[in-house]
Amino acid sequence: MAASQPFKTAGLLKELMAKYYEQGSLARERGVPVVWVTAVSPVELVYAAGLFPYYPENFGALAAARKVADQLSLAAEARGFFSDLCGYARCGLGDAYAEEHPVGKIVQPDLLFCCNTQCGSLQKWFETAGRLYRAPYFLLDAPLIEKAPTTLIKSYFVEQIQEAINFLEVATGTPFDFDRLAEVIDLSNEACLLWNEILDMAALKPAPFGFFDACFHMAPIVTWRGTKEAVIYYRELKKELEDRISKKIYAVPDERFKIYWDHIPVWPRLRWFSDLFAEHGALVAVSQYTHSWAYRFDPRRPLESLAENYSEVFANQGFENRIQLKINFMKKYQVDGFVLFSNRSCKPNAFGLYDKRSIISERTGLPGIVFEADMSDLRYFSDEQVRNKFEIFFEQLANK
Amino acid sequence: MILMTARKTVSELCAQFKKIIAEPGLEIQRVKAEKPVRVIGFLPTDVPEELIHASGAYPYGLVSYEGIWVNRADAHLQTWACSLSRCTFGMALAGKFDYLDGLIIPLICDTTRMISGIWKQTRPYVFMENFVLPRQVDRPSARSYLISELGRLKACLEQYMGRSITAEEVNRSISLYNKNRALLRKLYRLHVLRPDLVPNLDVFNVIKSSMLIPKELHNAMVSELINAVEQEALEKKADDAARRVRVVLSGKVWEPPAVMEILDESGAVCVADDLCTGYRYIANDVAEEGDPMEALADRQLKRLPSPCFVNRERDRLEYLVNEVKENRAGGVVFLHLKFCETENYDYPLLRDSFFAADIPSVRVETEVGNVSHGQISTRIQAFVEMLGGDEIYGS
Repeated sequence: MAASQPFKTAGLLKELMAKYYEQGSLARERGVPVVWVTAVSPVELVYAAGLFPYYPENFGALAAARKVADQLSLAAEARGFFSDLCGYARCGLGDAYAEEHPVGKIVQPDLLFCCNTQCGSLQKWFETAGRLYRAPYFLLDAPLIEKAPTTLIKSYFVEQIQEAINFLEVATGTPFDFDRLAEVIDLSNEACLLWNEILDMAALKPAPFGFFDACFHMAPIVTWRGTKEAVIYYRELKKELEDRISKKIYAVPDERFKIYWDHIPVWPRLRWFSDLFAEHGALVAVSQYTHSWAYRFDPRRPLESLAENYSEVFANQGFENRIQLKINFMKKYQVDGFVLFSNRSCKPNAFGLYDKRSIISERTGLPGIVFEADMSDLRYFSDEQVRNKFEIFFEQLANK
Repeated sequence: MILMTARKTVSELCAQFKKIIAEPGLEIQRVKAEKPVRVIGFLPTDVPEELIHASGAYPYGLVSYEGIWVNRADAHLQTWACSLSRCTFGMALAGKFDYLDGLIIPLICDTTRMISGIWKQTRPYVFMENFVLPRQVDRPSARSYLISELGRLKACLEQYMGRSITAEEVNRSISLYNKNRALLRKLYRLHVLRPDLVPNLDVFNVIKSSMLIPKELHNAMVSELINAVEQEALEKKADDAARRVRVVLSGKVWEPPAVMEILDESGAVCVADDLCTGYRYIANDVAEEGDPMEALADRQLKRLPSPCFVNRERDRLEYLVNEVKENRAGGVVFLHLKFCETENYDYPLLRDSFFAADIPSVRVETEVGNVSHGQISTRIQAFVEMLGGDEIYGS
């Protein structure tokens, strides 16, 4: 890993995630409904309703990071699902059919709550899982924001949040607790604020923390967002990073370049990429991906605020807005180059990158590349091709 | 004196529709040469064509493909996008749609959602809009949102056309389009009864051509065809020897068109389908009373189930199984475009539902432009043979 010394909070992270999965099984035992949720969705509603939110995407990422995504995917493919579907979905669906569960068994849903603000793939995965497990399915639909956010889309989203609340009320048989929602939103806010401050530390030169570290430490902001656990965790992490700054412990020992990385990591090659960049004195400082959870809610307008935050994430923005958002990050973190990941699992993030690369280079003067791979499936990864592409990129950086 | 004009035969009339598809831009270019009109294209087929028509522009469906242009888009779009999007966009890049003044892209999947931005960047038309459909269709919020989204699109059209669109104009267009759908449904029924007169390829050609030429002209042509079919059906008894197997087709588009020829050659008759360029295009009408914008929204929400929209009230699995039973079909042929994610998610459980209902099915993977005729042919023929010839067409 880039940082020579392991993070102290890594132990806490392990504990926290173990506790998270344990809660899933406990929920089952206690008859608390398990709600499948998507990573970018108002999970605050689910916590406020007293239900257990389960993140199948996290399951996919875990399987991918442990390099067993291909194996689980094959179990899905044997049932007729196609290898071109989202890698996470193939892991989730594959595990439902698999005999062996290399990362533990995926928790079966009682309800499914999906927001398609990230992609239509989740919409289809959850719909399929709803049919497979015969569980009620709610789609929170996020129309694409092409230019500026509109009142039309916002009111539609708010109306749907109200429908979602009814959906949860029917499932629990109890009226929704808005006071509890306010508390949950406060907790989400606090954790998101900390997360944002932590991500910002990567802008320091040299920085104690970068994108690959963020990928490692992001699980709680996804899964525990809305609880005190997330707040405690990121307070600890922030403290540790401040400590590292004072002790001059940096993410990359001789940081020469800062890089913008678009989108998700190649999970089974996280270390591989991290080492590759470190070898060249480059710190991947920022990605839209990890910033997806840097929300800011207004507790005085809870539903509107949830709608704004979740419908206006980068993944739900049009072509030009996305370019602008990327460039804003590049400027804020003062990067020297950028890497765009054409992820086979993710059409909404991949399509358009070929043109975006040249447009961004034109507007910023920065060198940049697009590389092809899959976030979870190594069958689509060519070490040699990727390495060659990056070598050229590093030469460009050095000659800048 | 009675002028006797030679009545055209069904096959002569069908050949006219075939010609339209072979040269899809011809008619619209002819109209353009005669008078100054604006042509607004759309990707198939979840768009309110009636609104475009009411604005005074000509709606034109980008539904006829020249496979040679599939790779033209490679510098802008990954090769693992479906060939439908690659070919359409490739044709645009090759200047094949230069007669368009505008384009409306319905956002129905991740590819349409992303391609619009690339298209606007690389090959813009004067008027380019997305039709941002709700992806869930069975809750009240979908309806109120869609009515407003239609209002937004209407305002964009009004601005572009420099005129307001009255409710009366929308109603007139709705009537015209309802007439077209009713005629096409009638033709479809005739095709099911007399596939010897109207084979699969021809009925689907007629439906597709409806998106390529002015509706008024199409209505006249379809009426003439229906008359001819009815006449010939009386004159010519159905050929009892021609046993045909009844099948339901499911998928997005029937590309490459050779699949229809193969079905015809195999002795299968398509008795129902949910294709965007098939029955889904004509299945339901817009109510002609009440507020026309609400009526347009209601039609969209009540269209046949598609994998692109979540509909818990009318689940696609159940719907398709019923279609097979109600139409007394022997089996189902999936026409699935390679890399069509929405279909690929639905497929395994859909196949299992058919299996559980004792309905045989076969999946044929298709690609625009890449016609592996032999492979498709073998698969379909084997399937049709397996189903056997128990059903006599029209029985």
